[in-house]
Amino acid sequence: MKKGLIKVTSGYERFVHWLLAISCLLLCFTGMGMMYESLNILGKVMGGLHGLKVVHNITGVVFGVALLMAIQMWWKEAGLFVFPEDIDWILTAGGYLWHVDKVPETGKYNPGQKMFFITVALCGLLMLATGFFMWFPGAFPLGTELLRWLYPLHAFGFFVIFAFFFVHLYLGTIGNPGTVQAMITGWVTRNWLKKQHPGWLKEMEHEGTLVISDGKK
Amino acid sequence: MAEKIKLYDDSKCTACRGCQLACKQWNGLKALQTVHSGTYQNPPSLQSNTYMIIHFQDYVDPKGEVKWLFRKEACMHCTDAACVTVCPSGALYYNKDFKTVGMDREKCIGCKECVAACPFEVPRYDAKTEKVTKCDMCESRITNKLDPACVKACPTGALKWGDKEAIMSAVAKRKEYLGVAATTYGDKFVGGTHFMYLLKELPDVYDGIKKNPKVSFSITIWKKWLKPLSLLAAGGVIGGSFLHYVLHGPKRPDPEEVIQEDKKQGGA
Repeated sequence: MKKGLIKVTSGYERFVHWLLAISCLLLCFTGMGMMYESLNILGKVMGGLHGLKVVHNITGVVFGVALLMAIQMWWKEAGLFVFPEDIDWILTAGGYLWHVDKVPETGKYNPGQKMFFITVALCGLLMLATGFFMWFPGAFPLGTELLRWLYPLHAFGFFVIFAFFFVHLYLGTIGNPGTVQAMITGWVTRNWLKKQHPGWLKEMEHEGTLVISDGKK
Repeated sequence: MAEKIKLYDDSKCTACRGCQLACKQWNGLKALQTVHSGTYQNPPSLQSNTYMIIHFQDYVDPKGEVKWLFRKEACMHCTDAACVTVCPSGALYYNKDFKTVGMDREKCIGCKECVAACPFEVPRYDAKTEKVTKCDMCESRITNKLDPACVKACPTGALKWGDKEAIMSAVAKRKEYLGVAATTYGDKFVGGTHFMYLLKELPDVYDGIKKNPKVSFSITIWKKWLKPLSLLAAGGVIGGSFLHYVLHGPKRPDPEEVIQEDKKQGGA
């Protein structure tokens, strides 16, 4: 690694992130193949729509495992808001939407990222629960009337997750140059960290947990 | 071709179950061993290999008279069919000529969405073939100008297949003959069904009949609202991100500062 870069994610974090991301995208892909008649054609690469359904169901299991790992790993850092700092940040929208002279300093996760995490966690759990009973409707204990509502709930989860995916994609890449490295190599520049998560940088410096590359590897 | 319907007139039905057998014969459906449930009704409900059954019911009317009521249960072939709306693969469809609900089992992927959606709880999932089954009004027969197998087999005229208008006017006459309780069942909901009953008693009297069948509002939200909204939202986000990039600009780190070696701390 280039000298001076700072380590911000562990291999485990990146593994869980990509397991969740790839299974989620595959679920969106296969799910859309079934939801939109005009996209039935997506089934072609999986030996027809039946194959698409099988891939969707099995990927759902992988997604479930990845989601639980992600929640277990991130809920403390990204699932809880800190008051009043997070409110200040939200009031400035993190400086993303209009000019802000000084964006309130954020720690490891800014409130926007926390909101994203919480949304993914809640919608993901909703997709797991509704998806399970769509797969095994006979196991649903509360009757046909309520069973029918699981389908729009599953579609609602997709509506949220699919839109959020593009927000995440934009903010994780070209919207915040340098960010994508956190999920690829795990090493970022000090400048990036100072701009994006100054509170966390200070905290790591204060606690002596900052890992800086010596450029030898 | 004109819209056609099948009519079941229970006042003419003797519950011989010739229709039930003819249905199995034409569709090549084997019988399974069942259990005796204390009535002639057998099997007790629709199955993946039984597209229609005759219900048997002992009924004591308000005057204390005991009556034996029969009812044929099968796909109702709705005009606004929930199963067709939810089917993701196009396996369920409306017959172009008759407006009945046909089924292409080759296309069925066994997702069971129609099983949950049907307001009459008719479609059945067959775990062996991983596909759903239901009555298709003998599409292979009606498209060749033959009556559905059940109608063909009916010896008393309780089952009829024909132009909707002709049948409905015959029903009106028959109702006058049968008296005040006689009711048409199927014309007042889901846009009108293509399998209708002419019942000699009030519909509520019949066991297992759906009192107010309708396409669940959940299906409207799911298929009419959330489907287009999902694409609109994603499109909006993509457009919004583009505008953000060109109007507000990305959040870049501030210009490079000299990073001093001695700042290094901790475990590297």
